[in-house]
Amino acid sequence: MMVVGDISTGTDLAVIGAGPGGYAAALRAAQLDVDVTLIEKDAVGGVCLNYGCIPSKALISATDVAYEAATAEDRGVYASPSVDMAEMVDWKDGVVDQLTDGVRRLCESTGVHVVEGRAEFADEHTLRVAHGGEGQGSESFEFEHAIVATGSRPVELPGFAFDGEHVIDSRAALELTEIPDDVVVVGAGYIGMELSTVLAKLGTDVTVVEMLDEALPGFPTDVSRPVQERAEALGVEFVFGEAASEWTETDEGITVVTEDADGEESEFYTEKALVAVGRQPVTDSLNLSAVGLETDDDGFLETDHQCRTAVDHVFAIGDVSGEPMLAHAASHEGEVAAEVVAGEPAALDQQAVPAAVFTDPEVGVVGLTRAEAEAEGFDPVVGRFPFAANGRALTTGDTDGFVRIVADEDSGFVLGGQAVGPEASELIAEIGLAVEMGATLEDVAATVHTHPTLSEATMEAAKHALGEAIHIRNR
Amino acid sequence: MARHEFRLPDVGEGVAEGELVEWLVAEGDTVTEDQAVAEVETDKAVVDVPSPYDGTVAELHWEPGDVVPVGDVFVTFETEGDGETAESAAADEETRSDQDEPSEETADAEAGAAGEGTDRVFAPPRVRRRARELGVDLGSVEGTGPSGRITEADVEAAAEGDTEPTTADTEEAVTAEPEPQAAAETTRDRTLATPATRRRAEELDVDLDAVPMVEERDGEAYVSTAAVEEYADAQAAAQVADAATVAAGEDREEERVPYRGVRRTVGEQMERSKFTAPHVTHHDTVVVEELVAWRADLKDRAAAADVQLTYLPFVLKAVVAALEEFPYLNSQLDAEAEEIVLKHYYDIGVAVATDAGLMVPVLRDVDEKGILDLAAESQALADRARDRSISREEMQGSTFSITNFGAIGGEYATPILNHPEVAILGLGAIEDRPVVEDGEVVARKTLPLSLTIDHRVVDGAVAAAFVNRVKEYLADPRLLLLD
Repeated sequence: MMVVGDISTGTDLAVIGAGPGGYAAALRAAQLDVDVTLIEKDAVGGVCLNYGCIPSKALISATDVAYEAATAEDRGVYASPSVDMAEMVDWKDGVVDQLTDGVRRLCESTGVHVVEGRAEFADEHTLRVAHGGEGQGSESFEFEHAIVATGSRPVELPGFAFDGEHVIDSRAALELTEIPDDVVVVGAGYIGMELSTVLAKLGTDVTVVEMLDEALPGFPTDVSRPVQERAEALGVEFVFGEAASEWTETDEGITVVTEDADGEESEFYTEKALVAVGRQPVTDSLNLSAVGLETDDDGFLETDHQCRTAVDHVFAIGDVSGEPMLAHAASHEGEVAAEVVAGEPAALDQQAVPAAVFTDPEVGVVGLTRAEAEAEGFDPVVGRFPFAANGRALTTGDTDGFVRIVADEDSGFVLGGQAVGPEASELIAEIGLAVEMGATLEDVAATVHTHPTLSEATMEAAKHALGEAIHIRNR
Repeated sequence: MARHEFRLPDVGEGVAEGELVEWLVAEGDTVTEDQAVAEVETDKAVVDVPSPYDGTVAELHWEPGDVVPVGDVFVTFETEGDGETAESAAADEETRSDQDEPSEETADAEAGAAGEGTDRVFAPPRVRRRARELGVDLGSVEGTGPSGRITEADVEAAAEGDTEPTTADTEEAVTAEPEPQAAAETTRDRTLATPATRRRAEELDVDLDAVPMVEERDGEAYVSTAAVEEYADAQAAAQVADAATVAAGEDREEERVPYRGVRRTVGEQMERSKFTAPHVTHHDTVVVEELVAWRADLKDRAAAADVQLTYLPFVLKAVVAALEEFPYLNSQLDAEAEEIVLKHYYDIGVAVATDAGLMVPVLRDVDEKGILDLAAESQALADRARDRSISREEMQGSTFSITNFGAIGGEYATPILNHPEVAILGLGAIEDRPVVEDGEVVARKTLPLSLTIDHRVVDGAVAAAFVNRVKEYLADPRLLLLD
């Protein structure tokens, strides 16, 4: 439907959403000489760059500077740093601006046409984009192909509508200009645990309410255990097996009521409730039926190995296409979808997608665990190396955790790895490369690693699986 | 009504695809379970594909002539019932898992010992991308990298239809015996050369491992700079020749016929044989007046026993009698073990021309069988080869072969060895030919003989002596009775 004042523009490819999936798709497509229009309703870079991965890591690292300085007396360092939260958030915003400006400039120089506004499908080959603000009007885009990359938003807990003050989501938590005295964090998943850790290090009394019975559910227990123990050492209180049921405002803050499986209620008096119980896809605003698509019951779009939806010329990438809801998965999918649009024989054929949690200590996982390998029919062998036996870890004063590598015993092919400990998010990349390349344990073990570095733990884990570890007892 | 997608099952042993010869049913036809719906030709044989359902044919997904990958939807059937019954679901499941199996097995066997029951393929991203570009199914590629990891070269070889599995199958189908020496000769994974030679090879974009070796040093192949340059020149010349052929063909009418199935099997087998064994062919002629008379006398008696008596059984007996005396012609070279394997059994392959191409069924223990038995058996095998109901086992394991090209016409030929055998006897047509007897030229029934030998194992003198002995038996068949 054309509205008076509508302008219609033709484009080979319309990408809806400029998060890490959408902008990667747009850039890749432009590199391949596809005429691309990238539509973003809010901020280029999406949740990841603006309100998620990047700002949270900035705050975590800045907080660690203060925390490390204040807790190094055993190493002969005495300091009592004070943190100006507003300044820290300012600095964090600067980091975000630098990155998002960079993305914007990349788009310009690569020839991606960036359009601001909220897109919805008008028919099979038309998108209507409503520009923000009064009287800004709207325009239409006639597209050959479209890539839906609209990402996700936090799930709201019934009874806990986000109000930006008493009940906040992760995005609001990253914009706090004052350190709260106390916070109840609902959900001990990776977002809840990252924010709990950083708040606890800043001096907030943190209570974590989790329905299941451990922190980081979904990760192997021996991986999540050091994270939970370190959090407890930082003063985080865990309330497992309980769900937040309601909250009420009080003179000094709020009261959060939780309920256990037997209906037993507990009350927590706190300044704020931070709800991090998961994320849901943003597909409801797209008018998908106009293009002939419908979502599954959870709002996700089903896609094939080329990121194609049930409608041939429409692709979906990133959080809208389901698990894993991770930025790097979205970027990879975006590049694949762009290449498919450009006529290249691309496909999602990766063996594994890594995941990292930026708690203290960090967690990094990729590929299969021993149990998953067994379930897939492998005969797995596992090697494990503790950071307590790694020289570099000792010199940083941080020796909790380990690197573990999982391989097929007969062939030696590396199938996966799990790491918890210092820089685990970085260390897991090497095992990811091994999994993707079809490298064997011997390949990793025989690669000379720099001494003294944490990466030696990966090499030693591979040697351990082969019964050849030098610095620990072999199996 | 429930619809079922029936995927092409593995119709041979580990075949990856089959050519649809013809549909035996049409869309809308009613079929019963196990009724043949299509004829599919693999590189081994033509087989009937049975329907797994009682129902109607809703859709035939391919055209005759199409090469259908195993596991692709082949026919859609409609059956009675709501489709969600446990039974039909189970049938679906069964069909699917049936088809999954071969690819898993293939992946297992080929990707080394990468765990049982898993279908993961180990190949780096670059190789996976190459496979997609070339349309190669990685699950069907044998990896030659560490622990069976698939390399780019493996994928490219597979794309050229030159996959190891096919070659291995081919080998079994026609010749039976594995021969490690062939593989050892065609590829090297290590080549000695001076740094200067290596640099020259790099400049000329020549793979050192592909250059014919100049000599062997410490058990490794050694190549010189001159050899590298010669190889590069030859490659360049071949490319120019290819280009010329293509260019010349552009404005001429040509037809491209798929090089597949039995044709490719025969071709690969011939190529391996001719490039592995140095062939020498010895020609001679024998006067077979007596044999012709014998066979004429016995023909009716055989016909009474419902057997068509040809000359072949007599030739078989003559050959086996001579082989017993010249055991090296009934042998095989095991180059890797540096041993010649003399076979004390006489399984004779007999080449049969079929519509699809050459096949070589095998007559077992010829030394223990009578003329009539051999006649009946050879006829039955040839019939089964021609209608392609012959099994793989019946074409494996021969120790010596005979090719009767004279049945079509001609005198002499230079037969190619049925590798890894070391000798093959070609029979020309029995005709009246001029022969000198007592200083007079007279017409006599003669049989031209062409014996090809593998000169690595058999020398010309031995070949001549062997043929002389065969001639004696054929000239005077009574001698066969003395054996």
